Amino acid sequence: MRGIPVTGHLGSPRIRRAVAAAVTLAAAASLAACGSSGPSTTSSSKGLTMWALNDQTILKQSVDAYNKDHPDAKITLRLFANDDYKQKLRVAFGANQAPDLFFSWGGGALNDYVKAGKVDVLNATDVNSDRYTDSVMQSATFDGKVYGVPVNGLAPVVLYYNKKVLSDAGVQPPKTYDDLLAAVKKLKGKGVTPLSLAANSKWPTLMYLEYLLDRTGGSRVFANIASGDAAAWKDPSVTKANQKLQDLAKAGAFGDNASSVSYDQGASTALLYTGKAAMEVMGTWEYANIAKAAPDFLKKGELGYTAFPALTGGAGSPANIVGNPSNFLSLNKSSKHKSDALTYLKDYILNGSQVDAYLAAGSVPPVKGLDSKLAAVSSASDKAWLTFVYDLVDKAPSFQLSWDQALPSDQADPLLTNTDKSFLRQISPADFGVNMSKAGS
Amino acid sequence: MSTTVTKTRTPATERRTVPSHRAATPGPVRKNPVPGILRRALTGGAALFWTAIVVVPIYWLVVTSLRSKSDFTSDSPLALPSHPTLDSYRTVLDGDFTTYLLNSVVVTAGTVVIAVAVALMAAFSIVRNAGSRFSRVSFRVFLLGLAIPLQAVIIPVYLLIIRMHLYDSLLAIVLPSAAFALPITVMILVSFLRDVPRSLFEAMIVDGAGDWRMLWSLAAPLARPALMTVAVYDGLQVWNGFLFPLILTQSGDKAVLPLALTLFRGQFGIDVPATMAAVVLSTLPMLALFILARRQLVAGLTAGFSK
Amino acid sequence: MVAPALLLFGLFGLVPLVGVAALSVARWDGLGSISWAGLTNWTSVLTDSATWQSLWLTVKVMVVSWLVQTPIALALGLFQAPRGRLRALFAVLFFLPLLLSAVAIGLTWQALLDPSFGIGSTPGLHWLAKPLLGSPELALYTVIFVIAWQFVPFHALLYQAGIRQIPTALYEAAALDGAGPVTRFLHITLPQLKYTLVTSSTLMLVGSLTYFDLIFVLSGGTGGPGTATRVLPLSMYITGFQAHDMGRASAVATLLVVFGLGLSLLTTRLSGFTRMDSQQEGM
Repeated sequence: MRGIPVTGHLGSPRIRRAVAAAVTLAAAASLAACGSSGPSTTSSSKGLTMWALNDQTILKQSVDAYNKDHPDAKITLRLFANDDYKQKLRVAFGANQAPDLFFSWGGGALNDYVKAGKVDVLNATDVNSDRYTDSVMQSATFDGKVYGVPVNGLAPVVLYYNKKVLSDAGVQPPKTYDDLLAAVKKLKGKGVTPLSLAANSKWPTLMYLEYLLDRTGGSRVFANIASGDAAAWKDPSVTKANQKLQDLAKAGAFGDNASSVSYDQGASTALLYTGKAAMEVMGTWEYANIAKAAPDFLKKGELGYTAFPALTGGAGSPANIVGNPSNFLSLNKSSKHKSDALTYLKDYILNGSQVDAYLAAGSVPPVKGLDSKLAAVSSASDKAWLTFVYDLVDKAPSFQLSWDQALPSDQADPLLTNTDKSFLRQISPADFGVNMSKAGS
Repeated sequence: MSTTVTKTRTPATERRTVPSHRAATPGPVRKNPVPGILRRALTGGAALFWTAIVVVPIYWLVVTSLRSKSDFTSDSPLALPSHPTLDSYRTVLDGDFTTYLLNSVVVTAGTVVIAVAVALMAAFSIVRNAGSRFSRVSFRVFLLGLAIPLQAVIIPVYLLIIRMHLYDSLLAIVLPSAAFALPITVMILVSFLRDVPRSLFEAMIVDGAGDWRMLWSLAAPLARPALMTVAVYDGLQVWNGFLFPLILTQSGDKAVLPLALTLFRGQFGIDVPATMAAVVLSTLPMLALFILARRQLVAGLTAGFSK
Repeated sequence: MVAPALLLFGLFGLVPLVGVAALSVARWDGLGSISWAGLTNWTSVLTDSATWQSLWLTVKVMVVSWLVQTPIALALGLFQAPRGRLRALFAVLFFLPLLLSAVAIGLTWQALLDPSFGIGSTPGLHWLAKPLLGSPELALYTVIFVIAWQFVPFHALLYQAGIRQIPTALYEAAALDGAGPVTRFLHITLPQLKYTLVTSSTLMLVGSLTYFDLIFVLSGGTGGPGTATRVLPLSMYITGFQAHDMGRASAVATLLVVFGLGLSLLTTRLSGFTRMDSQQEGM
């Protein structure tokens, strides 16, 4: 390594001096900054910290309201992108730098933290938890104790469709799986992608498996798996559900490009409202996303929605739903601001104005006795949507939490990877259950 | 300064040789009727091809950042924007972009200063005590360091940073980045200082100068070109580094630019123009450096690797 | 005066090197305490076909990258070496990718290759509207292409510098002997570039072990589709920081260290770099 390319001249002396000065200044600043942000980064001694996802704009309003009333003990809210939030939270807990209040999906992932002794029990009186829908509270209740309060709308997964694209192809919204296959054929003939799917993100593909398994074998099959019985993955209905997913893919239901589409980039949503795709299976939050990205599309009434198709001869009730009952806020056990946090959870989460804000945004919060409020919604299209979601949840015999949230976190990666491989037909329908039972044991 | 001389001489000779080829072609004597043309067609063709591959994505990047959200889904991707707008840039700048930029500057400057200062001391000592066993062993340690993939040790580094209570601070990026810049920095500085004539040091010793004075008033000024080169090289590595920030920090207000770019994607969702505007903005400081000091940048990039 | 450098590098370079081996026989989920695990991580890593697939992908990326980048970089270096205004302009254009971070490059290409809204929707370019990053067969090669996009300029610079060092007298002599361009290339340029070729190849090969940032961004952090781009560093990251099995991830990381050190040793042995090292040691 002799003789580095040492150029004799180093640009004009003036530039050189300027650069040197800038570097010195920046270095001084850096050392100062490093010094001040040294060991004491946990949470500022005065206020609370809270983490959530960055699409939670209404939740943010509750924080603003709280901060206005409590200028001496403010909540610092940090917002994260969906795809890396869970991992950041895990790391933060490992480093003992977790926030006082944290956002989760409930289920197995939350239970991980509960089992590790990181989460505080919430007494019903402290957070007024009796006002929330019972089936939703199940996702944050472990051993009979409540570890989180719901913070946002019910988020079952439904089937969205572009009305114009369907009618142009002479297709009715599919009521059964066979309808769906027939629609796929017709839509393909018209040159549109039948189902928009962000398979690159993997979890949207999982939604299909969740529904297909529920429709095939009923809610009992996954309930067994979630209770820790890894062998239940080998239930024949798991293979059948994978077979159905692969049949859809083989029929060209997802177009040629689904595996390149990632949800965070928003392309799967855009495909639906630009009419490049006819339908999309997604959580109810997609309604708000579309309202934000393409308000005209909603205003013209071109967005349709219905429950996931039934399966003729399947064991599961067609009224069963899957998705996220709600998101939850939980309290860090080592928080130094518990009473402030409880005040926030009790008085500011899903209070009257929060419920109104969610309804106005097209989202139904899991609060009991909403009928009168629903009846009072002014926008006709919003009212129809809200009533649809409310009824869907109200009449559902089972509301299955999405699998990647329901299972302990060490199984999330194998689950998503195997789902993707099944979708890509890299593994056979039977392999899925075999691989998962191995990963779960 | 001898390098400068050869560098100015090369093109001159080159220029002289090129016409002499041309002069030779018309004559029927030579066996090769197309001297250099084949080579030029091949390399020129490759160059054109690669230019297209390089330029098209960058053109697309810039054009897309100037499109409005709705035009993005309707315009043809390579066409000029039908309604050019700076909205996306406004969106990005209204966010925390300046925080990220400042973090990047602080982290880069901190790392470069620490790495170069510490490495210069080490290189000076290694060269001055070339005979000692300790020196040789230390040099070997740094050589070994060149072969350690940074990714491979990230888990223990993460554990260390947590135990040192540095997690989620800028110092958590600075210290490991400086440490991993050391091997190459030390190596380049050693090879440079080795060429400094011993007599210069000896003259200073006669004057009664200690190690520190020799380092400060002889080695450092002499090694200035090399210091500049390694500073640029180390700086580029840290500026563009992603793994340490990804694993060792988490809060938005500690994010450096590359990490912030991934945050932007999550935040903006379908707003691809805004993501692209963030990409362009994050590259501007490098572009400025490139325009102001292209020569040093090139030298820094190929630091120690080109003969 | 070596002490501060040794201390810093020792703490964050050598201690972790030992630490990664130590953690590979430990159990740690990132949340709780660290406990002894014996060889369970190793048996599980070494018997898992996914590990071998990752290793194979890593080797594939390494070899194909070398095969793709070397000829292009050499050709560009040859083109850039003579001076002239036009060439200087080209050189500036070639240089641009070097200014972008891997993350910036990844985000740009991911959006650019989006089959619905990316370059493939340009009239005349519909043949590009393929799931280049989404199909298990194509994704790895797309990644290798983007890696080349990022690194070819750097290697072209190395070759350019190398070519400029070749004494013109050699060419003049050869021209007098009537050597054609091909002969001159094979007998003067290539042999004279031996050192550059070795340097560039070493950097490419060893560097390919560390292509993490770009693949991470291009695959949305998953090494997908399926596991089609899950190279060793990514596999380690997912095992450690997504599945929270730090012990198992450390075993994968140890494999990476062994692989990296082995490769460096091999390339230095093969290329005669050792002689240079010993020269430096013997200063």
